[in-house]
Amino acid sequence: MNAQYKQLTSVIIGVIGFIIPFFLNIPGLSEAGHVALSIFFIAAIFWMLEPVPIYATSILVILLQVFFLSKQGVLFPEITGEYTPNSYTDFIGTLANPIIILFLGGFVLADAAVKFDLDKNLTRVLLKPFGSKPKFILLGLMVVTAILSAFMSNTATTAMMMTVILPIIARTQTSDPLRIGLALSIPFAANIGGIATPIGTPPNAVVIGALSTQGIDIAFTEWMVLAVPLVVIVLFATWLILMWLFKPASDRVEMDMKGVFQKNKEAIFVYVVFATTVILWITETFHGIGSSIIALIPVAALSLTGVLDKEGIRKLPWEVLWLVAGGISLGISMESTGLAEWIITSIEWSSFSTIFLIIAFSLVAIVMSNFLSNTVSATLLIPLAVSLANSGVAGEGFNLILVSLVIGVSASLAMMLPISTPPNAIAMSTGTLKTSDMTRAGFVIGIFGLLMVTLYALFYWPLILN
Amino acid sequence: MDDKIYILVVEDELEVMDALIKDLEEFESYFPVEAANNADEAREVIDYIIDHDHKIGLILCDHVLPGQNGVDLLIDLQNRPEVAKSKKVLVTGQAGHEDTILAINKADLDHYIAKPWTKEDLEKVVVDQLTDYVINNKKNLLPYMAILDTEKLSDAIRTNQMTDH
Repeated sequence: MNAQYKQLTSVIIGVIGFIIPFFLNIPGLSEAGHVALSIFFIAAIFWMLEPVPIYATSILVILLQVFFLSKQGVLFPEITGEYTPNSYTDFIGTLANPIIILFLGGFVLADAAVKFDLDKNLTRVLLKPFGSKPKFILLGLMVVTAILSAFMSNTATTAMMMTVILPIIARTQTSDPLRIGLALSIPFAANIGGIATPIGTPPNAVVIGALSTQGIDIAFTEWMVLAVPLVVIVLFATWLILMWLFKPASDRVEMDMKGVFQKNKEAIFVYVVFATTVILWITETFHGIGSSIIALIPVAALSLTGVLDKEGIRKLPWEVLWLVAGGISLGISMESTGLAEWIITSIEWSSFSTIFLIIAFSLVAIVMSNFLSNTVSATLLIPLAVSLANSGVAGEGFNLILVSLVIGVSASLAMMLPISTPPNAIAMSTGTLKTSDMTRAGFVIGIFGLLMVTLYALFYWPLILN
Repeated sequence: MDDKIYILVVEDELEVMDALIKDLEEFESYFPVEAANNADEAREVIDYIIDHDHKIGLILCDHVLPGQNGVDLLIDLQNRPEVAKSKKVLVTGQAGHEDTILAINKADLDHYIAKPWTKEDLEKVVVDQLTDYVINNKKNLLPYMAILDTEKLSDAIRTNQMTDH
């Protein structure tokens, strides 16, 4: 009963939020902007309180936009002085935005990898050089987790790595802090590793999608050049932090992963497709073929050979694609109706320095993402950042790509609570650690991450982007 | 997600029943345990559970019962779709060869525990069976990670599409 009560209340609040702007007359905001505000309110409320699944809210956003804001909708059939209505195809088209196609390619590859145990076998091989001292095993696990999660979903990587560390934990003394260190290392490394490539995690898609609607395309290579150095430093620091907070008591850990690489025809084909796609992605800047175009290769190759069959297609996480599409779509209407600009001009931005703005956006993104879905946090903040950068209000150093990156990266650095990310939830559910352990470690890492993002945004990223 | 997963124990000897219930203590907070002394009572309990929109994850069934015996009960239960998915384990020392074969072939028997049993053996069987049940019948596996087979559940999560968001 309690859950149903909460659900009903959230829906009512959302609907009220939707209705209110229709009765207001906010100076400086166009009529279309008021409608966009309505949609923004119900979207934000539904995404934050989750009376319905977040992907359902995303589709609702698209529906409301088509219905109320598009040229084919009921309110704005003609171009007015204030608002040039988007065609409804702009909104529904987000479902096939190039970044969506890129993610689809990533999903197909990841699925095939899991199906043929490529992830497990790679882990076994990559862990060997790290030996058997606890601190190096921990480092090894984190590095491997990060590499995998850069190309697979953070959640699937975490689930898989759990099967690797659970036997270790079972053999470790209950009083040994190594257990906690191990249990936390996986979700943390997975979250951090997801930042490294465009396909690592959905918030990255929101960044790239938003930038593409502004006419800016970030290549796979470019993203990696911007993100990987940050990922390496934060990962290394996280390792040190975990070792400091949870110093291992034993001095030897037995890693006993069994398994062999599958050698049948299908598996070999998958390995080839996987390697080819990843190499083509990473070298995008050198050959110039867009990563979304490359992404079609694994989808086609694996479907044509039956590795990806009908059942496999149905099992792909389409709801994640809907989630991202809704986010990109919301950004479009906030921009084109002038809503985002109005929000921006309501604040005296020129009195704030660039460094303050960077820290502010990063901090807000991290705090929000600790409580909300990372993708939702990015979705709600990026249109504001886009408008801020476009309006020129915030000054010279406020590059559009820069601030979007700050938000997108920060959204992945929120790891304090079990609800912060699915990997955190998985780790928590094993019963091997207390929430306070996670919060302590997540807090320190969050602060360090904030610091790194700020430094990168001030010194390294402008260097690359100019 | 209010539906609970029950463990049903069907056993007529009081001492044996008590021993079984005691050995199932650790699972009770996750999987409520219900007892029945014969086949008819078992059906009543099952009806009660199903009517309240809960599920039966595991049936631990003795064979020698007053009235209908355990194997026949399990075979009958196959006709009820809600119970067909439940895991069925015979806990007995007195099922003959033929009865056991019938149970395997017609009742989709999942495991056989011979009396007397050890607590560790019973726990292992319960964990294995319920892990399988949960993987095949539940979308969210996290609540069971601490009590059931964590590795197996993690692997199921790995292949079963719990996603980033």
